[in-house]
Amino acid sequence: MSENPLLAPIHGITLEDYSAACAKMGNGLSEDAIAKALGVELPVWQEVSLLWPERMKQDETFHIVTLFGQHFGAADQHPILGNLQPDASAGNAGNVERIKNDKAYYQELEVARQVAYEYGVDGAQWIADEYGISIGDFQIAAMNWGDEIRKDMQTDFDNYNETQAAYQEKYRKQFADAQGGDVADDITF
Amino acid sequence: MFDFFKKKYDNPMLAEEMRQTQDRWFAFLQKLEERTEEVCEAAIPQLKEVFEQDTDPYKRAHGRMLAGLLGQIRQMRQKANEVRNEKIIGFIYAAEAEFPGINSSYHDMLYKFRQACYDRHNVFEDNEQRYEMLLQNAAGEQDLETPYRKLLEEFESLRDRFACTQCSGNITIPRLFFIATYVTCPHCQTQNTFHPSTEAQMVLHNARALAEQRTAHLLKAYESGTPKDPALYRQYLRAMFDEWNSIVPDMTEENEKFHERLLKDQQNYHH
Amino acid sequence: MSDENKNKMLSYVERLRQKAVDQKNYGGEVNKEDAKIDARDCPNCGAGRAYRDGLTNCGYCGFTFMQVKLTDGIHIKKENNS
Repeated sequence: MSENPLLAPIHGITLEDYSAACAKMGNGLSEDAIAKALGVELPVWQEVSLLWPERMKQDETFHIVTLFGQHFGAADQHPILGNLQPDASAGNAGNVERIKNDKAYYQELEVARQVAYEYGVDGAQWIADEYGISIGDFQIAAMNWGDEIRKDMQTDFDNYNETQAAYQEKYRKQFADAQGGDVADDITF
Repeated sequence: MFDFFKKKYDNPMLAEEMRQTQDRWFAFLQKLEERTEEVCEAAIPQLKEVFEQDTDPYKRAHGRMLAGLLGQIRQMRQKANEVRNEKIIGFIYAAEAEFPGINSSYHDMLYKFRQACYDRHNVFEDNEQRYEMLLQNAAGEQDLETPYRKLLEEFESLRDRFACTQCSGNITIPRLFFIATYVTCPHCQTQNTFHPSTEAQMVLHNARALAEQRTAHLLKAYESGTPKDPALYRQYLRAMFDEWNSIVPDMTEENEKFHERLLKDQQNYHH
Repeated sequence: MSDENKNKMLSYVERLRQKAVDQKNYGGEVNKEDAKIDARDCPNCGAGRAYRDGLTNCGYCGFTFMQVKLTDGIHIKKENNS
């Protein structure tokens, strides 16, 4: 395998373990649960979770960050952490599945999430409340769709733009209506 | 839509239409600017209050309110852009397509019209961006120094008060730790685990930001130079990392590797 | 600016503020906890874990506390392997 010293496991925890752990923590798993599953104690885990980001900061080639993204996206396939779920998961399994399999659904919700912030609403919480998708699963989908969406943009940028604009219009209207309109609605040319 | 173009060579209606369009455009932008000012005037004192009252260490209630206000400015800028595309640029294109040649007096008029409309829009954009900055800076910088000093004092008074879970002997925590750390009992050699307080963990999280606050004057000195002097940037980086290391000494080795990387980046991309 | 607009904007800002403050923070509130100390005894033989025996295995019965191989980290070093 690779001889890159920046990829050597830290206290026996590989980049693959660390990346999957980050995804799972995004789904509400505690540090204690992660450490226990990986068979280490909290002081060991906390060093690991400090030092992997340091490796990424040191790596000029961005190789480690790229691998992190790939492993993060494959968190559900991780041999130990893959099936780990938080105790009190309010998730909607159907939507979680859908966002990982339906690109348009992911793209629409990504726009909705951003528009939520523009209207003073925490987009991550809003997605969790409305669709039962936690930020961990949302980011797994983001990592996995990234390449394909970049390709779509290259092949048909206009189509990509039009779709995004349509989503934006839909959700801006929805959030604006909920707050009683935008502040400049009465100003026209 | 633009029927008056049909009469090409002598067209006072066109001149009048240009004048009116320009007036409406100016008035429209001014109304948006006034509305932005009204929003900011109402929002700035409240933003400050929310920031001060927000007990969340990440100040997320303030973050949500600020994002909502910036969203409204974005909405007004977008509105201006749409009108610019439709009513100003659309007008210019339609007019240009109809004009007989560049020597026509209307060409000169149109050029002036376009310039005036664009200039006014640039002023509008500058103003809106100034308001965005005002909102972003309304709450001021988070005071990281005071809680850090307080934590250091508290640690000094607390560090001797821990007892070994095995032999109950007294354990002195050797220095301020920011993550869970094994400490060995000096009496029975048992490995105890020290869990730092939430406040101590936040110091690690905020260490770089605090170091940047302390050395902001050096970054400013670099950024205000014309041309910018790379030596001043390196001087800033060194001072910032020295502060960073002094706040979290345990991270010095890793921080120094990151410092090396930033120096390399500067060489590769900026000079 | 007109008083009417002033009031309208004030009420908009107040509603936005209320909405921002009332929302719960994602992942829940940050619970402030004090510093504390604990230790892990061997669940197999009840022995304490002494520094000289390392962190990974029990010095008395060999029980595995941690399956990993410790490397040089921040405070934990290779020497802490049992």
